[in-house]
Amino acid sequence: MTAEEIIASGNLELYVCGALSPEEVIEVEKAIAKYPEVKREIELIEASLLHLAETVAPPVQAMSWTNILNSIRNLKNVEDSKVRTLNLPAITGWAAAILFMGGIMWMLKQTNDLNSSLRVTTTENTVLKQEKSTIENQLAKNNETLEILRSKDYQAYTLPGNQTVAPEAFAKVYLNKKENVAYIDVKGLPAPPRGKVYQVWSLKMDPLTPTSLGLIDFQNEAGDEIYKFINFPDPEAFGITLEPEGGSETPTLSQLYTLGMITI
Amino acid sequence: MEQPNDLILEMQNGNEKAFSRLYTMYSEAIYGIIYSIVLDENTAEEILQDVFIKVWNNASSYSVNKGRFFTWLLNIARNTAIDETRSKAFKNSKKNLSTTNFVDILSSSDSLNTKTNAIGLKKFVDALKPACIKIIDLLYFKGFTQAEASKTLEIPLGTLKTRNRTCINDLRVMVLG
Repeated sequence: MTAEEIIASGNLELYVCGALSPEEVIEVEKAIAKYPEVKREIELIEASLLHLAETVAPPVQAMSWTNILNSIRNLKNVEDSKVRTLNLPAITGWAAAILFMGGIMWMLKQTNDLNSSLRVTTTENTVLKQEKSTIENQLAKNNETLEILRSKDYQAYTLPGNQTVAPEAFAKVYLNKKENVAYIDVKGLPAPPRGKVYQVWSLKMDPLTPTSLGLIDFQNEAGDEIYKFINFPDPEAFGITLEPEGGSETPTLSQLYTLGMITI
Repeated sequence: MEQPNDLILEMQNGNEKAFSRLYTMYSEAIYGIIYSIVLDENTAEEILQDVFIKVWNNASSYSVNKGRFFTWLLNIARNTAIDETRSKAFKNSKKNLSTTNFVDILSSSDSLNTKTNAIGLKKFVDALKPACIKIIDLLYFKGFTQAEASKTLEIPLGTLKTRNRTCINDLRVMVLG
């Protein structure tokens, strides 16, 4: 069909009215795309009908547009608040993340606290272990000494205090005559003054011959205030004198604290 | 009048200003169509608002490549108005509408539209042949299909088409000069 035939058919008027069948609509739209004059004709028909309808209309109230605007804006607001509601999971997510971070920080702090408290405890443990091992060593030493002193090879003697120097003082001697080993318990002696040390002597009576056994010091210590001495000639008596630090060649008799005979 | 496709596309993108301009261009004609169906100003106003809210909310269902925007508006307006006339509330409150058409409205109206040259047009419409009035009323104002109109008016489809063209052509000479 030519443009003129389409225009004369009356289909364009029905097209604008919306009264055409779908097949005819497709036909008209093809013609619009093909012929500019068909499009122009449709625009003129539409303008005529638009004017006709306008003449029929009573004056439109200005409120109508306001109402429409309010209505579509309310709808928009509803949609906006919907969007806001949809954001709730995100907000929840952030809150959870913040809580989670807070939790992690708290746990880190807890771990730090625990670590430092653990370090303190470990140190304390080490100290206690050392003390324990020291005490165990001491105890073992004491037990060993006690075992020795209890054996039948040892005889016990008490060295009484010298009346002029230290009447309250005393010392005990545990002596193995066969092997010439002596343990001396000095618990009964007063603590030596600064710069002084006790020295143990083995004595022969006729003539009076003192032999130094050694000093009451850490080198001879065998237990708590018990000292062990070996390698000395058969004694008839034991004496303990207070001597300057390092000991003396001969006993200072003016400072003789205890003296006792070894009988039988 | 060339169709304002730019405005239509902007409205479809949610531009209220474009929608406002389209409302200015088309609302009076659409109001005229609605009024010719319900014949009550308050009801017609409400329907007009409904129609344009529908247009805004369903803007994306129209395509500038398919059919005239004015025809799309016409269909929404006529359907909404006809739905209203079928409602119980409307039937209870209204008189018999079957005999009223757009010419009756023009003849009986005292407050004619000021935007158009209504007085001149009224004179012309008054002079329209009764056949033209019936055809334009059914096809344009009442939204009959060509087959329905042909059956109602008892004239062949071909005759209906040519007569409708002649009537609108007369109108066009009067309106557009």
